[in-house]
Amino acid sequence: MSTRTVEPAHSIPQIAPRAKGTSNLSRSMSRLRRHRMAIIGAVLLLIVVTFVVVGSILIPESQAIYNDPSRALQPPSLAHPFGTDVIGRDLLARTIYGGQVSLFVGVTAVIVQIFVGTVFGLLAGYVGGPTDSVLMRFAEAMLCIPQLFLALIALRLFSDPTQFPDFEFLGRRYSSTMIVIVFVIGLTSWMRVARIVRSVVLSVKEQEYITSAHAIGARDVRIIMRHVLPNCMAPIVVSATLGVGLAILLEAYLGFLGLGVRDPTPTWGNIMGDANSYINQWYYWFFPALFIMLTTLGINFLGDGLRDAFDPRSLR
Amino acid sequence: MTKYVIRRIIQAIPLLLIISFVLFAFMNSLGDPLAVFAESRQRPTAAQREIMIRRMGLDRPLLEQYITWLIGNDWQQVDSDGDGVVDSNGTRRGVLRGDLGISFVTRQPAWTRIEERLPATLLLMIPSYLITLALAIAIGVFSAVRQYSFLDNVITGTAFFFYSMPIFFIALLTIYIFAVQFTRWGLPALPIGGTGNGTLGDLALHMVMPVFCLVAIQLAAYTRFIRSSMLEVLGQDYIRTAYAKGIASSAVVRQHAFKNAALPLVTLIGLDLPFLLAGAVVTERIFAWPGMGRLFIESFERADIPVMMTILMLLCVLVIVFQILTDIVYTWLDPRIRYS
Repeated sequence: MSTRTVEPAHSIPQIAPRAKGTSNLSRSMSRLRRHRMAIIGAVLLLIVVTFVVVGSILIPESQAIYNDPSRALQPPSLAHPFGTDVIGRDLLARTIYGGQVSLFVGVTAVIVQIFVGTVFGLLAGYVGGPTDSVLMRFAEAMLCIPQLFLALIALRLFSDPTQFPDFEFLGRRYSSTMIVIVFVIGLTSWMRVARIVRSVVLSVKEQEYITSAHAIGARDVRIIMRHVLPNCMAPIVVSATLGVGLAILLEAYLGFLGLGVRDPTPTWGNIMGDANSYINQWYYWFFPALFIMLTTLGINFLGDGLRDAFDPRSLR
Repeated sequence: MTKYVIRRIIQAIPLLLIISFVLFAFMNSLGDPLAVFAESRQRPTAAQREIMIRRMGLDRPLLEQYITWLIGNDWQQVDSDGDGVVDSNGTRRGVLRGDLGISFVTRQPAWTRIEERLPATLLLMIPSYLITLALAIAIGVFSAVRQYSFLDNVITGTAFFFYSMPIFFIALLTIYIFAVQFTRWGLPALPIGGTGNGTLGDLALHMVMPVFCLVAIQLAAYTRFIRSSMLEVLGQDYIRTAYAKGIASSAVVRQHAFKNAALPLVTLIGLDLPFLLAGAVVTERIFAWPGMGRLFIESFERADIPVMMTILMLLCVLVIVFQILTDIVYTWLDPRIRYS
């Protein structure tokens, strides 16, 4: 059994200023800092992020795109620490820049997912009635189908990749399929978030402070923003953290199947997809897969730590 | 109880209708189902294309196409030769009467396509699922009984490790070690892809690696689940009472704790079983296994809508059926639960 943090007893609770560092958030944060796994997870993520950021400072982007068939499929050497791919591109540079895109896709897809999920969950829980049943039936229907299948169906929305031209951003060229994949992943993974938010809303809605807020004439928007949403924050943060890991995995699976982000933008997933037919050249697939694993491992450790930190009852 | 089950079934019908209509609308309004013919050697001319569209009924309004898909069109006059004139009765009988449509690609009934692939998928998924369950129960219970011991920490850590691994990493690593390197070292290597030459022994050899990978991926999540549900039960008063009465600890764990901890496991199994039919898309791709996952990808790539619809609807029906079955099994296992 763990020791519970006991709040200092104040003689006059209403007036005595709260001692610094006893707010819910700071208590959660201190629990998180003591969570060994969470710290390991954070360190892993830090390593991955440092790799893709510092790497991109040291190695120019042109390295990731420049190809030279005469040096195709070279094993790791001093000049190319991760080797070269089938058309002679430097795999270290591709892993670095692919990592940036994979992490970007993971994080933005989760933003989409959290936004849609929270809006649907709030609507269903707060409005209730037919809105609730329609939205939840819809979520239930989408949960009947494996997410990879759902993502493939959603891909049909954007079936013709040439209809979106490449775009330039900060001097680098990206394939628009990157944005497509963000929405494909985000719009096929919001259901669990919606369910979590809805269940929190349903329990919060019956609390007395909501009734009193109604009684003093607060509008629904204000009640949602001030009272309902803050209560949903902890579960949202936890599922967002774990969601980034799942989104990166899904991106990798799509890329692996050759249906993800297209050239010229590298991602860990589509490097793996290219490498699929070159199993003998271990360096081709090993490094991107290793980084995918380090990232999801870090995220899962951190997410688990966050869950324990926000919900002391779950600590055993 | 009977009433509850009947109500659940009645609720499921509109849900299935909605799912099928949304999926149908989505797939039919996007992409070009005739694209597959455009790639073929004899590219159809614009006139031939139009005839094909009329013959397949793709020129009709979406709602009418959906109704045809659902209940068929043998009760109405259709344009069977595509010349723009309504001439004879339709031949489709509709999904509700067991006609799941004809594959655009192979011109076989969609159900035949699935029948071809389903055994291969089940051959892969059922053994791997059974092995996963057996190992997960053994490891999860072991680890919960020795909570925070060295072995428990090792198990929990390893479970996390595999839980975070993309399946292609495990698959490629096993192929690289057991097929590529073993050949290089002159050891007996495992075959890489396909289902072998038809003999039972060869099939078993081909199953080793994919089954191993699927177990490795699934095991972690199940072990974690069983460990935490065991821990919850082990903290209950009746377990302490059982120990206090002097019952041997193996009997407490097996008869008192595990029986109760297994209840949530039943729900998890009930929810996961239908998805076994979906196959494992990535694993099947890597090991060239002719299963349902690959069928779905192939149908997706060639816009074979009838086959995709059949796979998806089969899954949805099974998910709903298994949800109801799980509820029934649950009341049978735990008499405290009553549905009203």
